Amino acid sequence: MGQSFLLAVTVCSSFAVLFIFYFILKDAIPFFKLRGFTEFFTSANWFPSREPAEFGALAIFAGSALVTLGAAVFAVPMGVAAAVCLSDVLPFNLRQAIKPVIETLAAIPSVAYGFFALVVLAPLLQEHGGHLLSVAVWLMGAPMGALVVIILADVAAGRVSGAVPKAYSPVRWGTMAVLSVGSFVCLWWLSAKLGRLEIASGANALNVSIILGIMALPTVVSVSEDALQAVGRELREASYALGATRAETVVRVVIPAASSGILAAVILGVMRAMGETMVVWMASGNTAKIPSPWYNYMEPVRTLTATIAGDMGEADHVTGSARYHVLFAMAACLLAICFVANLASEWAMRRTRRKLAGG
Amino acid sequence: MGSLMTMVQGAVQKRPQAPVQEFRPHLSARDFSVFYGASEAVKKVTLDIPAGQITAIIGPSGCGKSTFLRAINRMNDLIPSCAASGKLIFDGHNVYSPNVDVIALRQRVGMVFQKPNPFPKTVFDNVAYGPRLQGIRNRAKLAEIVERSLVRSALWEEVKDRLRQNALGLSGGQQQRLCIARALAVNPEILLMDEPTSALDPRSTARIEDLMGELRGAYTIVIVTHNMQQAARVSDYTAFLYEGILVEFGPAQRLFTKPDDKRTEDYITGRFG
Amino acid sequence: MRLTSRKILDRSFSGLGFFSITLMAASLVIILAPIFVRGLQAFVFRATVEHRRMTLDLFERGDRAKIHSEAALARQARQPVYEMLDSFKKDLRTKPASERPKYKEPLQQLEDALRDLLGPRPGEKQPVLPRQQYGQTRWDRAQIKLQDVLYRQSYDYSDPTQMGRKVRTPRAQDFKGTSLEPLFPYIEKHAEDMLRPRLTLYWRFLTDVSKDSHFFGGIWPELLGTIYLALGAMLFAVPLGLVSAIYMTEYARQSRLNSLLRALIGALAGVPSIVFGLFGLAFFINTIHVSNSKSVLAGALTLALVILPTVIRASEEAIRSVPHTYKEAALSLGASKWRTVITVLLPAALPGILTGIVISMGRAAGETAPIIFTAAVSVGEPLKLWQTLSQPTPALSWNVYNLSTEHQKLDELRHVQYGMVLTLVLVVLFLNFAAVVMRARMSKKLKG
Repeated sequence: MGQSFLLAVTVCSSFAVLFIFYFILKDAIPFFKLRGFTEFFTSANWFPSREPAEFGALAIFAGSALVTLGAAVFAVPMGVAAAVCLSDVLPFNLRQAIKPVIETLAAIPSVAYGFFALVVLAPLLQEHGGHLLSVAVWLMGAPMGALVVIILADVAAGRVSGAVPKAYSPVRWGTMAVLSVGSFVCLWWLSAKLGRLEIASGANALNVSIILGIMALPTVVSVSEDALQAVGRELREASYALGATRAETVVRVVIPAASSGILAAVILGVMRAMGETMVVWMASGNTAKIPSPWYNYMEPVRTLTATIAGDMGEADHVTGSARYHVLFAMAACLLAICFVANLASEWAMRRTRRKLAGG
Repeated sequence: MGSLMTMVQGAVQKRPQAPVQEFRPHLSARDFSVFYGASEAVKKVTLDIPAGQITAIIGPSGCGKSTFLRAINRMNDLIPSCAASGKLIFDGHNVYSPNVDVIALRQRVGMVFQKPNPFPKTVFDNVAYGPRLQGIRNRAKLAEIVERSLVRSALWEEVKDRLRQNALGLSGGQQQRLCIARALAVNPEILLMDEPTSALDPRSTARIEDLMGELRGAYTIVIVTHNMQQAARVSDYTAFLYEGILVEFGPAQRLFTKPDDKRTEDYITGRFG
Repeated sequence: MRLTSRKILDRSFSGLGFFSITLMAASLVIILAPIFVRGLQAFVFRATVEHRRMTLDLFERGDRAKIHSEAALARQARQPVYEMLDSFKKDLRTKPASERPKYKEPLQQLEDALRDLLGPRPGEKQPVLPRQQYGQTRWDRAQIKLQDVLYRQSYDYSDPTQMGRKVRTPRAQDFKGTSLEPLFPYIEKHAEDMLRPRLTLYWRFLTDVSKDSHFFGGIWPELLGTIYLALGAMLFAVPLGLVSAIYMTEYARQSRLNSLLRALIGALAGVPSIVFGLFGLAFFINTIHVSNSKSVLAGALTLALVILPTVIRASEEAIRSVPHTYKEAALSLGASKWRTVITVLLPAALPGILTGIVISMGRAAGETAPIIFTAAVSVGEPLKLWQTLSQPTPALSWNVYNLSTEHQKLDELRHVQYGMVLTLVLVVLFLNFAAVVMRARMSKKLKG
């Protein structure tokens, strides 16, 4: 009885995505027929309501790319570090206590994040942006710098003497002194430069990158943690039994073994950031212009998702025009990117399973 | 009943006669106990492990022999509810005193596990892992150490042409010998082996037992095994642990032919376990 | 590398991990704290007599007699203000013509600011918009308007290297030496008497409709809209998802068809939310015409697609985690596969399935992009059930966006925006929390 009925229902569910592809492409193709491919992908002049209209979406693609990159810069190091802490450092009770924090971060609706970005973070960046950035530079930079100095000094001393360096090797201390002074000066200069920064508008790429990074974190953390756990106890035991510290075990054995899974986590997190609409619509400034220079995150940008959401209100009245169809063209590009990313993360997941199973 | 005893005694007789060595304790346990939470898995064991010889720890499953073995290089530290009391003395110091450097300890006391666990790296990188940790970066020196360790673990001939290939492509027996080479690369004094052949086929098992005989003298080996014939074949001294208590300890020859304790005799003859 | 450096690195490595976790927890607190604190102020605040008058007039709630007497007291306190204004205007007519223009502009500004604060003068023509018919209803907003009455804001552009600086000058200076000067200290001193603030718990914020685009009243239409949409999404997604999950776990085990289906569902999970919205518009509304234009029905269908992968995954996991001994026992007693599923598997998997459903409902309630083109409007009446098939609705998620970006007076409605965000966040978090509690309780019950 039932089996064919069940199959039919299941096929309906699965084919939903194919329907989506079809209907989006159906309304996207008329745009390319009308205006071709070159202008859309290479021109940065986005003036859909002008006479004559221009549909150059390069600045919008750049905007999406910029905020996704920014989100990745925040979410990936922090997420992987947090996942490592959860899987290898924290005792069981603390781990169970942190899980709700991650789940809550994942559950907060995107419009609430967007509201925070617009109403709290944007004014904050505008008023005190420079100071906040210089404080952040010190907060992140000092520990990093200290770590790098120690590692580099040891490596340098080791290279010079050819064996395990002694405690009071002059090379080691000399390198450490030079590098410390150097990094201190760098940090000082960077934070002073940032401190003098005047942010014209708090709704910019930096604002959105921070919030998108926070939104992508739960995905990166949980998928990475699963990947790290899947490495299993035996490999860790082997490393510890050879006299490795916890840091060395994680960095030299666990993370390389889990690298494909972590890659999948990063892809999924980045995908989440790229497909996000409300946060960018509310707080990115919605200006279709490539910032000058391209890495200037203090300027407003516009993303694909925000353009679709924002322009549809006006375009809907002129169904059949290029203005209506260009939004479907953007949606088609988004779909294509997300589909490829999905495939990539599936491939990465499969590679993990193969790697750990042998050869 | 008799046939098991006969098998074991036969194994003992077949051994090549090892030169008689003086008993020099390398590791001493004094009233040493290990607790998992509230339950005592190892109960006040007092034991001397002789240097340069192979000591086997036998007993029914769950009797605490793996726990005792893992206490020696403090691998039990990885289990949060685990605690120890009493003394475990190595090189004049109690392994469990608070200011012991566990990292340094593990460089002197190596371990091979039941299931071969090579890293998903190349054969070379597996063996070079330990030396690299200690700071040795010179490529020539590393190559020398890797070759030496692989020769010593009787694997060199088989892998010398595939050093840069993934270690997971080796057979089970080869992987276990790789793990032994990896452990030897850091030049330990004691080698702990936790049922090293129970996951392997008989041929690989025999090769590793031969290997153990070769390593003897240069290293002190402590092996945990549930396979009595193996213990009879390879060990110089044997300890019988039952429910956490050390029932008997003595030269393998004597323990397997004329055990002092009735429980030992019952175990060896197969009445239980 | 030396042992001590290795140890230092080990410590700093753990420190890095702790730092990340702390940063994560801190960002959660930083994001939720303002929402909770200021959102609460939409419910608990000091309400003025204007608020009580407004509630009486527009919502017909409150003790008529008490409010009228209070209003009379407030009027009494305000009387001197109007008297002073009238006498100043009389004075102005006696002044020479050259001096009069100096006071024209400041007087106009002052009167506007006073009207913002206290409402129209008794006897003045009633303005059309309700928001102008009353003075400030909240004491915190009243204090801001009070500053507007007492001070004038202007920009100082004297320094060419800096952005224009804001400068506040007391209005009293504009009227120095005139009969209006004592007005300002009077207003400052008697503001509380003129407005009579009292701490109020306005829980009806959740059940009142909004009057005059959210200037007064509550968020009931939005809350109802969100409830309709979440329930509707569940209505469509659960049967579809559950049946699919059953088929994939029980009937089509390891075949290629199964992997294909699963890959397609995985692809569905990766579609961005705005694309769902576009699809809903292009398919549900423009192609199969479930409704002529936006409607709750179209929105619910779109949201159902958004949450379908989650429902399927949760159900699959729940069904798979049922010990197969249950299934084998039922089959060995002669039950057909279908009966086994219905009578043994589903009940055992119920905790996991329900958890997945409740969490998906939370997700559907919080989504905005799928409903922008399919179901959401900015202002509207709370819908009756039969109207959901053809009418659009306001919704918490959409209106948070709309109220904080496209409203004319968005600055003045911050408390409403925060109140909406707080309500939405609480709804979603409550659903998630309920799901976790439910799972814990039910699995304990099933384990006996």
